[in-house]
Amino acid sequence: MPAMSEKKIRPEDDGRDFASAAWSIPSYLLSGMILYGGAGWLLSEWTGVVAFTPIGLILGVALAVYLVYRKYGR
Amino acid sequence: MSTLTLLAPGDEFTPPGLELFDAAPIIAGVSWFTKPVLLALLSTVLVIGFCWSAFGNPKLVPRGVQNVGEMGYMFVRDQVARPFLGKDADRWMGLLLSMFFMVWVWNLMGVIPGLQFPVASHIAFPVVLALSVYFLKIYLGIKHQGAIGYFKNMMFPPGLPKPIYVLLAPIEFLSNLIIAPFTHAVRLFANMFAGHIILAFFSLVGFWFLFEKLTPLGAPLGVIGVIMTIAMTGFEMFIQFLQAFLFAMLAAMYIGNSLHADH
Amino acid sequence: MGILAEVTGSLGSIGYGLAAIGPGIGVGIIFGQGVQAIARQPEAYGLIRQNMLLGFVLTEALALIGLVAPFMFGR
Repeated sequence: MPAMSEKKIRPEDDGRDFASAAWSIPSYLLSGMILYGGAGWLLSEWTGVVAFTPIGLILGVALAVYLVYRKYGR
Repeated sequence: MSTLTLLAPGDEFTPPGLELFDAAPIIAGVSWFTKPVLLALLSTVLVIGFCWSAFGNPKLVPRGVQNVGEMGYMFVRDQVARPFLGKDADRWMGLLLSMFFMVWVWNLMGVIPGLQFPVASHIAFPVVLALSVYFLKIYLGIKHQGAIGYFKNMMFPPGLPKPIYVLLAPIEFLSNLIIAPFTHAVRLFANMFAGHIILAFFSLVGFWFLFEKLTPLGAPLGVIGVIMTIAMTGFEMFIQFLQAFLFAMLAAMYIGNSLHADH
Repeated sequence: MGILAEVTGSLGSIGYGLAAIGPGIGVGIIFGQGVQAIARQPEAYGLIRQNMLLGFVLTEALALIGLVAPFMFGR
């Protein structure tokens, strides 16, 4: 898949691509945090170890950043 | 000592809280007909009246209301519809134009003297609009890309290595189907809610320190309150227009993404 | 010696408010410099946009972590 800087984007498509990217980035971050943070929270409620919640949250953030990097940054 | 105190003795300035948003029924007995409902109906009448008088009897060379109406139409078509919908923009202009003007008049109700309640600061109104766009998006996606194809295109964008998909597909699914309508509605609601509280707070500061409890030290604070109210009203009017534009733009983006999948 | 100064009330919201200063300035710098770069060399638009979005997501991540920090450490 060509890098985002090398794709030939027609000028009329360009605003749409940028706006889609700009609005989906915070959405990916939020959903990664909720999904894996929620999973971590459920795990910590189940096992009693409080540390799983922050681990899940940070893991969700890292995965969301990686998704944005693969999708928009290469 | 008492003339140097900021507040008159025995009085506390209480900032406005959530009681700003309680709405009492206007006609006794009809419990659902409250001020927000009346303002929503009024804005419907205003938008219909404006569009009818602008586009009802169109002339080739526009004059008067038709000129203003055409400016609004061109703005929505060029900034909201065409970037996201491309060739099909004209089909969706009715929906996008109505949504944009509706939300803008809803928001403007917050600064019109006498009315002064932004309709979108009751969560029900933005939620209904956002949910209708959400169901439209899913319906269009399934109709144009097939039920399996829609979810496959959404959750598995091409070009990523296979093992990543397991971790990232849930994030894509959650982001597109749950977070998107939620933020669509809450963005409008939170901006109008916060703006209304800010305006009420500064106006109350001005009124309290200048008229209710006038003290030598408190009067400059009241003047600051009045100046801030004027400044924040101007800022709020800009935010109202911007939020209406963003709401319509995101609706166009979601519809456009459903019609043609991301390539 | 007793308590000299105290902050009571909703500490979580004060914390988030302070935590939002950094990412706010950061995002402003990213997009401000990005727009300036596009103005100087419009043919590099694709490259600039790609890097702008990468920088934005990293900065925004910090803002969102600040949003949930009261819930994480509040117990």
